[in-house]
Amino acid sequence: MTVQEATVPEGQFEEVHSPGVPPPPDVLLEVRNLRTHFHVMDGTVPAVDGVSFSVRRGETLGVVGESGCGKSVTALTIMRLLEIPPAEIVAGEIWFDGREILSLPEDQMRRLRGSAMSMIFQEPMTSLNPVLTVGEQIAEAVIIHRKASHKEAEARALEMLKAVGIPAPERRLRQYPHELSGGMRQRVMIALALSCDPKLLVADEPTTALDVTIQAQILDLIARLQRDTGASLLLITHDLGVVAEVVQRVVVMYAGKVVEQGSVKEILESPKHPYTKGLLASIPSRGKRGDRLNVIKGTVPNPFRMPVGCRFNPRCPYAFEPCAGHEPPLDQTGPDRAVACWLYTKPPVGAEHQASQRAKADADGSAA
Amino acid sequence: MTSRDDPAPPGSTVFVTGQGTMPVDIAAPADVAAADVEVALESLGQWQLAWRRFKRHRMALFGLAFLAFAVLVAIIGPIVWPYDPLIIPGVSGTNPGGDSPSLAHLMGTDNNGRDVLQMVVNGARISMTIGITSMLIAGFVGITVGTLAGYFGGWVDNVLMRVVDTFFAIPLLFVILVAAAFFGEGKVISLVLIFGLLSWPLIARLIRAQFLSLREVDFVEAARAVGVSDLRIAFRDILPNAIGPIIVAMTLIMANNIILEAFVSYLNFGISADQISWGNALAQSQNYLVFGNWWWAFFPGIAIALTVIAINFIGDGLRDALDPRTRL
Amino acid sequence: MLTYVARRIIQAIPVVFLIAVVSFFLMQQAPGGPQLAFNQNHHITTAQIDSWLKSWCLERDPGVVGTIREFAGWLGVWNCTGGGLLSAHGLPNFLPAALGGGTNGLLHGDFGFSIASGQPVLSEILNRVPATLILMGVSWVIWVTMAILIGVLAAVKRYSVWDQATTFFSYIFYSLPTFWLGLILIFIFGVALRWFPVQGIVDTRAAPAPFATDAYWAALAKDPIPNLFDIGRHLVLPVITLVAVSIAADSRFVRSAMLDSLSQDYVRTARAKGAVERSVIFRHAFRNALLPILTNVALELAFLFSGAIVTETVFTWPGMGRLYFDAVNARDYFLVMGILFIGSILVVIMNLVADVLYAWADPRIRY
Repeated sequence: MTVQEATVPEGQFEEVHSPGVPPPPDVLLEVRNLRTHFHVMDGTVPAVDGVSFSVRRGETLGVVGESGCGKSVTALTIMRLLEIPPAEIVAGEIWFDGREILSLPEDQMRRLRGSAMSMIFQEPMTSLNPVLTVGEQIAEAVIIHRKASHKEAEARALEMLKAVGIPAPERRLRQYPHELSGGMRQRVMIALALSCDPKLLVADEPTTALDVTIQAQILDLIARLQRDTGASLLLITHDLGVVAEVVQRVVVMYAGKVVEQGSVKEILESPKHPYTKGLLASIPSRGKRGDRLNVIKGTVPNPFRMPVGCRFNPRCPYAFEPCAGHEPPLDQTGPDRAVACWLYTKPPVGAEHQASQRAKADADGSAA
Repeated sequence: MTSRDDPAPPGSTVFVTGQGTMPVDIAAPADVAAADVEVALESLGQWQLAWRRFKRHRMALFGLAFLAFAVLVAIIGPIVWPYDPLIIPGVSGTNPGGDSPSLAHLMGTDNNGRDVLQMVVNGARISMTIGITSMLIAGFVGITVGTLAGYFGGWVDNVLMRVVDTFFAIPLLFVILVAAAFFGEGKVISLVLIFGLLSWPLIARLIRAQFLSLREVDFVEAARAVGVSDLRIAFRDILPNAIGPIIVAMTLIMANNIILEAFVSYLNFGISADQISWGNALAQSQNYLVFGNWWWAFFPGIAIALTVIAINFIGDGLRDALDPRTRL
Repeated sequence: MLTYVARRIIQAIPVVFLIAVVSFFLMQQAPGGPQLAFNQNHHITTAQIDSWLKSWCLERDPGVVGTIREFAGWLGVWNCTGGGLLSAHGLPNFLPAALGGGTNGLLHGDFGFSIASGQPVLSEILNRVPATLILMGVSWVIWVTMAILIGVLAAVKRYSVWDQATTFFSYIFYSLPTFWLGLILIFIFGVALRWFPVQGIVDTRAAPAPFATDAYWAALAKDPIPNLFDIGRHLVLPVITLVAVSIAADSRFVRSAMLDSLSQDYVRTARAKGAVERSVIFRHAFRNALLPILTNVALELAFLFSGAIVTETVFTWPGMGRLYFDAVNARDYFLVMGILFIGSILVVIMNLVADVLYAWADPRIRY
């Protein structure tokens, strides 16, 4: 960690601004050098360890990575929904709509949640309160943020249920969550999240728990509503297929760090970081039926014993000398494009194999 | 740590569950994956692992130490400092309720001049005997009935569970009282049987619940698929999985039965007056409380309370130690 | 809902029957047997004993068939006055008396006579019901409110000083023998400090009439404040004794139910929609934690009944628990059987109420 702090000069990456300086007005959300750690019985887990990215107004950003890479924790940190302790936000800033929200008093933050920023969770089966009706749960947000009467709030809930395409909304309004299917519940969650016209919608694996046949419908619904309302969308997923369909820009996370970011086209067509390549290669493609499915070797590192140097180096097919000793900085390689890998950054020592490694990587990349 | 170079012992199955969809890499010796930690712990054995978790529970360790001390007192106390309830030393002071604690009698004396500390030390034997043996009986009967119900299912299960329901419906204290008064005859063995035979239903219910939940679980299905007999499944796969909650329930039963003994003896329905237990030690004290002799009621009671606290702490430690969901 | 309740009642019938069997055979197997207990009362002649035995289907040396007949008589299926399975009207004896059935046995509300007092068991028990109801009712209210308050607060302020203190004290209190706690309270507050009376429900010298007599109720209605105050003073120590251990256990239960509920995804959803913390805790978390608590609260009444016997014996409280203790002491078999049976029925009813409450409160349960 200390290595990384030493090797990344402030402001090296374009979108990270100096501490305390608000981002430009077209940026709705900017996360700067965020570190969220968990203090558990066995030690400290650096779940998010120096993550920076930004979401512009009306933009759709995908955060991609394996489970355990810290993407959900990042989302919960933005919403400030983590329980503190065991979680601790060690460092960083989060600018939302011109305000730094990590330092906001809880009461002001609460006013933002559900109105200016709202969230859709992964588990529609458990994310709705089983003893309250669907209508009550949607109306609650409207009552809280718009000071609406119960009648008005119920009317808004009905309107939202119609907007998310739930059949017979009048009847569904009075039903309990257990009477609805998983897809229906996720629609309710979306209705709930959008009921107060948020500027930012955070969707944490919104389709993972659903049937494959339903996934596309829900994804389309989210994308359509995002377009219609002009909200920004932060879509968190482990599924690059989902990313390809919906988002404009992608942030790839590995073991609590951003390893690569760029436009969805760049990431999908010319991935740079070996991990991103691995992720792309592990998507089963229809064209190559019968081929061996490519998987990234190894497992996500034990958070208590993070590999020294680049965290991906034990699994990386291109690892060479500097990787095990030094953590690569997230270096900009083009407009809106950055990668944290010694293959693309001049390593501090032992760079002699770089050229040959890079040639190998490029050859593999073009093959993929 | 088990490294890849150590071959797994022949015949043993080591489950390496990779996280996510990625199989374990063979070529990353530097990387210590979480799965490897689990494998290493697996090799420690379930009981060593439980003991390691238990040791972290400071109060449970204190409880274990105290209980060991109490058992020791119960074993050697009556040998080095025997007590006969039939000997009446006579009151030395003027207080009809006995002497207050002094250097000669650290816990004071009762109305007949008997030393309360001596009563507490000697009473430990019967109280602990009843607590431990009735717990073992309850465990044996409960495991048997629960296994029968869970294993056979159908009408056997139905009948046995209605019996268990009945036990839960009857206010047990009422039954124990009448059983101790009518069948106890003041004998330790009778009370052991009464407490043991009335406190098993909880365990039977736990075992049966375990059967119901594990019946459909993968490894039981797997065992069945390869032709392992049902009875072997019951004893080799299901019982060990139920052991955690059962042991915890047994500690509760032991604590409860020690209190019950004291209560029925206090009511003169329990241990006969020519023997000494913690309940007997304070049985007559209420009549003399007006003379201010708190020590007579206090010290035997505190002995019971401390022992029960110790057992409850142990139970709590065991709950954490034997719960497979608890992380190391 | 009605069919659900009906189904649960039907399911409870075998349990009630088993309870009757257990109560009866416990008494049958008791050394001496019920019939011999009559012998201890020398005001009663052999002829009287024989006629009583006969009217209760009791036989001096019953054997197996005779014992079953005795049980059938106690249950009310058998007509003791010679009709066998048929009543005096020639109809099955188990039918209600109004439909031409018999009048004896549990089925007809006849629990027999107390050997010690000669009174019907039912009236003996009913005499003691007010004192027990007062003790249990007050204890139950205090118990439930305290347990919920302490438990919810401990869960919300998890790991705080409050949480740790209540954890510590609940451990201590949970491990205390109830009767011993009663003795210690008697010594501290009754003997040493003389703040509260230590036995009975009313001050026998100050009370206008013995408790639970018609004269007493009349006096209570006329002059309620001093009389209620007197009962209140007598209630303090027994109630503390009765509830201390249970509050300790239940505040833990409430705490864990609440913690479980607070860790659920829907609580996070509530926070994500910007609900204020009070609403998150009560509207979302507590509403859900209430389901297990509700069940527990109904079941507690049954435990209270067991606890009452401890408290009532220690504090000579003139309730059913004390009556039971006295009956066991006097080998008053019919009384013991009667209380055991009624007490068990009470527990079965409480279980039923708990189930129904749960079904009513949880929209997920279909009945």
